[in-house]
Amino acid sequence: MKKIMNLYILFFLMLFLVALFRPYAFFYGLQRGSLYSLVALPLALILGIVGLLNLAHGDLLTLGLYLGYILFNQLRFDPIFSVIVIAPILFIIGFVVYKLTIERVLKSHHLNLLLITFGVSITLVEFINLLWTSRPRNVYVPYATKSINIFGINVGAYEFLYIAASIGVLLLIVFILKKTRFGQAAFAVGQNPKGAAIVGINVKLVYTITFSLATAMIAIAASLMIPRVSIFPHLGGPFTMRSFCLTAMAGLGNLPGIVLSGITLGLAEAIVQSIPGYSGWSDLVFFGVLILVIALKGYRRAVR
Amino acid sequence: MKKLLVFLSLIFVLSAFAQKPIKIGAILPLSDITGRQAANAMKLAVKEINDAGGILGRPVELIIVDDEMKPEKGAAAVDKLATVDKVDFFVGGMSSGVHLAQIPILKKYKKITVWIGAASYKCEEAIGADADWYFHLHPWDYLQGESYAIGWKAIVERYPQVKIEKIFLAYEEGAFGTASFKSYLDEFELAKQGTGVWAGLMKDLKGAPFKSAALGGGDYRAMLLQAKQYDPDLFIWAGYDADAVPMLTQAKEIGFAPKLFVGAPPGWPADFGKNPLSHGVVLYGMWAPALKDVSPIARHFWDAYIKEFNEEPATYFAPLGYTNIYFLVEAIKKAGTLEDKAIIKALREIEYESPVGGILKISPSRIIKNQGFRAQKILQWQNGTQHVIWPFEYATAQLIYPFPGWSGR
Repeated sequence: MKKIMNLYILFFLMLFLVALFRPYAFFYGLQRGSLYSLVALPLALILGIVGLLNLAHGDLLTLGLYLGYILFNQLRFDPIFSVIVIAPILFIIGFVVYKLTIERVLKSHHLNLLLITFGVSITLVEFINLLWTSRPRNVYVPYATKSINIFGINVGAYEFLYIAASIGVLLLIVFILKKTRFGQAAFAVGQNPKGAAIVGINVKLVYTITFSLATAMIAIAASLMIPRVSIFPHLGGPFTMRSFCLTAMAGLGNLPGIVLSGITLGLAEAIVQSIPGYSGWSDLVFFGVLILVIALKGYRRAVR
Repeated sequence: MKKLLVFLSLIFVLSAFAQKPIKIGAILPLSDITGRQAANAMKLAVKEINDAGGILGRPVELIIVDDEMKPEKGAAAVDKLATVDKVDFFVGGMSSGVHLAQIPILKKYKKITVWIGAASYKCEEAIGADADWYFHLHPWDYLQGESYAIGWKAIVERYPQVKIEKIFLAYEEGAFGTASFKSYLDEFELAKQGTGVWAGLMKDLKGAPFKSAALGGGDYRAMLLQAKQYDPDLFIWAGYDADAVPMLTQAKEIGFAPKLFVGAPPGWPADFGKNPLSHGVVLYGMWAPALKDVSPIARHFWDAYIKEFNEEPATYFAPLGYTNIYFLVEAIKKAGTLEDKAIIKALREIEYESPVGGILKISPSRIIKNQGFRAQKILQWQNGTQHVIWPFEYATAQLIYPFPGWSGR
């Protein structure tokens, strides 16, 4: 408990120092990092309970963005509210993808699981490319470009929604896992699937619902991102990579750690980008911080 | 009877030979809109040529191979077209990276090649001065840079209120962006010494890289803040189509509205013109749909393309692909033979009025002997339409200056 407290104190100290010396980087890092967390949380949920690293995660996000684009373009559906439509559609897509592909190789080697999600990823990208071509699409709503003045600093207001949404999704997942019957069953399956099966939990059903639910949760990130990004078939790939990094950095099953890791990496990226002439180093710093944290964790475990 | 049979067989063989198609092998990235539309335009040109009786009494056959924008696939496509399909000519092209891998293979076959892609000077260095058989239609990056300077000088003369002394170049951190920045730096060094095309125009230059949205980036705010602090007369970004709208969105967000907001991506997103933020954005391009209002060949191409494919040409690679085939075919017609030397001579002599806008004529560039187009055009998005601002002979609208800013949109 003391270690966790120390970690939080260190985290908030880092936030304070960045805000003091690089105020723009503080806001940008906070916003961007929250987006990374928002996208990573559903991936972490699947990894924690089903034990599956879904390489098609980012591509499902891309699909959600295209759905939002169509809703806006054809029906003038406001991007933020499009989550109401996108989430059920993604739930069904997640269900179908799981039943048709993942479930069939779930008991085989881990490599087969990776390969099947890699196959799903390629299929999704090619399907999207075929339907909408590689040409980027955009949605414009004036409220997504409004800015606010905080202590004399002009910052975009819209991306603060990412912070609220990432905390909201974290609380939602924790609530489902701790307070609902399904969540408790899922938690048990995540801990020990064989034991859970012995006590009568339908492990197959838990896996299916967890995967579909996590896929539906991607809709929250997708609907918020619609007016802020260019939508194109390969958009999701880097988000899969970042989500995996965040999960690896936080550690399996550590959901609040995903948000902290996201913000830490977002801040590291923003600080480097704010130094003139060194913005190209941001990826290096992103992955450097990741390697450092994982190495330190490994070292501490070895010492113990 | 025996003689008659031999005679008939001879006639049959000769007629079969006479009808043997002239094969053109095209290599394009078909999953990208540039490659897909260039391929369509090439098919349209071949259809028109064959409908008109072909060339040298023979039909033209177009064989298209997808390079998937991957260097290894692009290089393998050259081998496949040369050995399996046995094509007579190579055409096509888009990415410089892919072309760099293709050049050693093209040199192996030395077939006449008329290329519409690959703007990087590195490709010109790789081709070298001795490749008589190589014709490059797309302006090299440094030629583009020079043409912008020529264009801006002409604009400054015509519109005295326009000032282009401080330039800020935001460039994507990949090969395309860094090559653009390097060429600007070279030009700036020359301008400081009072030489080069930017002399008398560019007084100061600053650059900052950004990670393109196409490559997993998309946060330009730190770079835009640097640009805002610098307060340039002309802000230009060299990136990809995926950067266009987020760049404007974030510029609006931080209140950055330079007097000239210029974008230089190879293509623009779908419906970019419909986005209110696009109004007033200047761009460089080889072609604009509005050219159809001032050029009959551009009008013919526009109408024929829409009729054939039920979509509008959206990238300059469409009229460039059409030009690619016609330029080669006109040279073959002029040569009257498929002999390499005669066709090379004809390619160097002909003048072809292109739907891209302008007369295509071959002249030497820094290294190669056979360079086609040398200039891009200066265009501007105005109320949803791309208008030609310069060259003035193809102008379809007046320049809106300064950039209208963000209020009310």
